[in-house]
Amino acid sequence: MTVSSGTVPGVRAPGRRLLAAGVAAALVAAPFGLPIYATTLLTEMLILGLFAMSLDLMVGYTRLVSFGHAAAYGFGAYASGWLLLHGVPLVVAVPAAAVLAGVVGLGIAWVATMASGVSFSMLTLAFAQLLYAIAYKWNAVTGGSDGLAGIPRRPGPFGFALFDSRTGFYYLALGVLAGSFAFCRTLVASPFGAVLRGIRENEAKTRALGFDTRRYKIAVVAIAYALGGMAGALYAPFAGFADTDLLFWLLSGQVLIMVIVGGAGTLAGPVLGAAFFLLASQILSAYTDSWALFFGLLFIGVVLYAPQGIWGLVRSRPARPALPTDVPDAAA
Amino acid sequence: MPLLELDGLTRRFGGLVAVNAVSMRVAAGEVRAVIGPNGAGKSTLFNLITGVLATSEGEARLDGTRLTGLPAHRICQHGLARTFQITALYPEMTVRENASLAAQAREGRRWQPWGGGSVFAAAVSRGDAALERLGLGPLADQPAGLLSHGDQRLLEIAMALAQAPRVLLLDEPTQGLSVQETARAVDTLAGLFATGAMTVLLVEHDMDVVFRLAHAITVLHRGAVIADGPPDAVRADPAVQLAYLGGLD
Repeated sequence: MTVSSGTVPGVRAPGRRLLAAGVAAALVAAPFGLPIYATTLLTEMLILGLFAMSLDLMVGYTRLVSFGHAAAYGFGAYASGWLLLHGVPLVVAVPAAAVLAGVVGLGIAWVATMASGVSFSMLTLAFAQLLYAIAYKWNAVTGGSDGLAGIPRRPGPFGFALFDSRTGFYYLALGVLAGSFAFCRTLVASPFGAVLRGIRENEAKTRALGFDTRRYKIAVVAIAYALGGMAGALYAPFAGFADTDLLFWLLSGQVLIMVIVGGAGTLAGPVLGAAFFLLASQILSAYTDSWALFFGLLFIGVVLYAPQGIWGLVRSRPARPALPTDVPDAAA
Repeated sequence: MPLLELDGLTRRFGGLVAVNAVSMRVAAGEVRAVIGPNGAGKSTLFNLITGVLATSEGEARLDGTRLTGLPAHRICQHGLARTFQITALYPEMTVRENASLAAQAREGRRWQPWGGGSVFAAAVSRGDAALERLGLGPLADQPAGLLSHGDQRLLEIAMALAQAPRVLLLDEPTQGLSVQETARAVDTLAGLFATGAMTVLLVEHDMDVVFRLAHAITVLHRGAVIADGPPDAVRADPAVQLAYLGGLD
């Protein structure tokens, strides 16, 4: 059972609010107390967290498992990179890229929702590979195998340059993540979100009740692509480049792992999963080249022993009788 | 004028004619049972009326509006609600959430992607009312997956009622129930139908249930109607007796 209303069951509300306030305060204060590299790492965590959270809308809330969510991230990165290189200021390029990614997501969803289950997943993968191939070949726009380099955090309009610095960009990423989190929370607690849960648990029944389930699925996929695209749109000016790795299937697999390790269907869990993934890759890779192996073992452990992910372990859950029909929320 | 009309409804699967030119009229307030041996085409007929399967020929009309050709969710929006032969619920949601989501399907702002307090309030109140009518009120906070099979069947009917349908289609509501559960379900349904305010099309195997609940019976055999009329006339029909004894070819 996942979050069925806007609240997290199990953790008492006052304690939860206190925890949330503490985390928020720590995140706001972080750039003043942390060394430079840590602020950079934290910024990347926020961006990846947004990416993973966007996928959770599909995987965790609607059980639409995407094997190609890198399409959203990579497309957003290329779109914002191209706009920034062509004179569009940062504060315009990022939302514009998100909207474009949402439009692309709408098209992909329209086709992919003609199928369901594994076929749906394969279609998302196919579209991601298609975008990968386009980015690889279309030299004039995407820079081919070199990608787009030297992407600036372009100031403006009217000389607005608050987000150009390392600290400023950190706050931009933090603000975008916080806003997206609030947006997603509202979405999943709304009547629309209730229908998504119906689709997750029994799509045929939901259709029989009179809901046009395909429309709901198309809508949620488009939203997930827009938010995932926004994450990519932040990554391009963060890293200063956009290349085909951002559209590669490996990243699609990694973000799925972040969602599942963090806790699918919880929104906060996948953000945690992304942070954990990045941290593990940084720490483990200092000791061994085969850090992915260890992360893989961790992934197996979570799937087997903590189907609610890290977030499920963090929040204390009251004992509930197991349902005969209980299935893990994740795509596990 | 009948509320639900079927006109020569036909469905072919390759060479097999599963439903063959079935016509019937269901008047407002009537409870009509569709009976027939296994494989007679009863469930296929339901799937044609509700748009789950495409119709090969003929049409179904609700109060004069053509249903055939519309997608399933649209047909449902016209006021047709159904239950399934195999129980279909949301096992991890509570009983109340199940009924409320069913009611939400009839709300104008059922899709609203923000807030929705008033949408939920209206849906929960209609869902709860339906649960009360079927005696499920005390179980409202239980996860639906934990209910007994009998209660799950009743919950499915409550979900259909929560949609305030003009015509209710019940596909074997006592399927898989024990003798006691069947008796309870039939008593509950008889109570619901007693007011005469509901129009029902009922597929049922259990003849005791059929004769207790139905005002009229249509008998299907190999996809075609072989008898149609009040229960006593149908029971006395030699063709029907032959079909059930397996002698009709």
